[in-house]
Amino acid sequence: MEAIQENVEIPEALKVVFAKLEEEFGDKFLGSSFFRGELTFTVSVDDYVAVATLCKESPDLAFERLDCLLGNHYPKRAEAPFEVVLHLTSVSRNVRLRLKVPLAEGQKIPTISGVWASADWDEREAWEMYGIEFLGHPNLIRLLTTEDFVGFPLRKDFPVKGTVGGRIRTDLKGKI
Amino acid sequence: MGMTDPAGSRRAAPFSSLETSRLLSAADLAALTDASDAQVKEALHEDHIPGVAIPASLEKLLGFGRSFSWWPLLFGLACCAIEMMATAGPRYDLSRFGMEAMRASPRQADGMIVAGWCSTKMAPRVVRLYEQIADPKWVLAMGSCATSGNIWNTYNVVQGIDALIPVDVYVPGCPPRPEALWEGLEMLRDRVKQSRHAYDGLRVIPARAAIGE
Repeated sequence: MEAIQENVEIPEALKVVFAKLEEEFGDKFLGSSFFRGELTFTVSVDDYVAVATLCKESPDLAFERLDCLLGNHYPKRAEAPFEVVLHLTSVSRNVRLRLKVPLAEGQKIPTISGVWASADWDEREAWEMYGIEFLGHPNLIRLLTTEDFVGFPLRKDFPVKGTVGGRIRTDLKGKI
Repeated sequence: MGMTDPAGSRRAAPFSSLETSRLLSAADLAALTDASDAQVKEALHEDHIPGVAIPASLEKLLGFGRSFSWWPLLFGLACCAIEMMATAGPRYDLSRFGMEAMRASPRQADGMIVAGWCSTKMAPRVVRLYEQIADPKWVLAMGSCATSGNIWNTYNVVQGIDALIPVDVYVPGCPPRPEALWEGLEMLRDRVKQSRHAYDGLRVIPARAAIGE
């Protein structure tokens, strides 16, 4: 695990967050970093929901808000090309935290829409754009693209140019 | 003068109600609809024609009227809509041309300004709004995206709104300045005056043709 950089001054509130998460999960974290005032933990899929629940419900952490949940694609990272990233905000404690969950190709991840309801749409977007499947999601259907869309547009191997399926998509049938 | 033309050579007057006008006899009217503008002007100076006359076909009169009350649909897709709002605002003052009344309902609109890029998800809604506008209707494609998709040659952008609905006037720009939209609307007004439509001669609109309806 990377140590927190010693020369950088860490805000008190963030120290509390770091100490609490280290105390609860310690060695289970895959890594952590403190960079430009931002604290990041790398979490394995198995501990993901437990960490998220603790972040929400522990009074020392109290991350009431899920700012965003998003996917990432790193094709050169052979063992874990995908990643789910959570940005958390504690309004009451004025502190932010980032969680990263690396994923292998085709690996599934449990939903956290039960912890933060706003994760619902974010997970739908991450699924339709990267093909990351969220287990137990209440409504995993396409959010931004048309229903019969094929492919995951934000994957790096998706063609940058050119319309998929011609200039006019046939799924207009019955809708106009 | 066309007044003395034999009846057989005349084109039928398009609107029979006009023939009963007390201002002009049926023969005069029929002659006027065939006559050139110069002939009409000459005819207006004839003593036997009353002072009030319809100087051309009724279609021209309707077009003239429509061109000063062309109400667009209140509908913006993207950043071009900001410029459209600026055009309607006090600085550029579209109300000078009777176009400031942007209707929120397609039933009351005379056409639409497609202001911005159209995603494939939005495309069915654009087509539906277009079809809900009553005839006669005109469409202005505002900006490079509505015209051709602009730089977004990608999976989710319609490459020009003319792939879906017939377009009368294209205004380039990213986004076009209000002056450019104004110029486009002036061109559109010319078409309105002449009662020319992009859908003239089309059996079905492109979107329906593409899906085989």
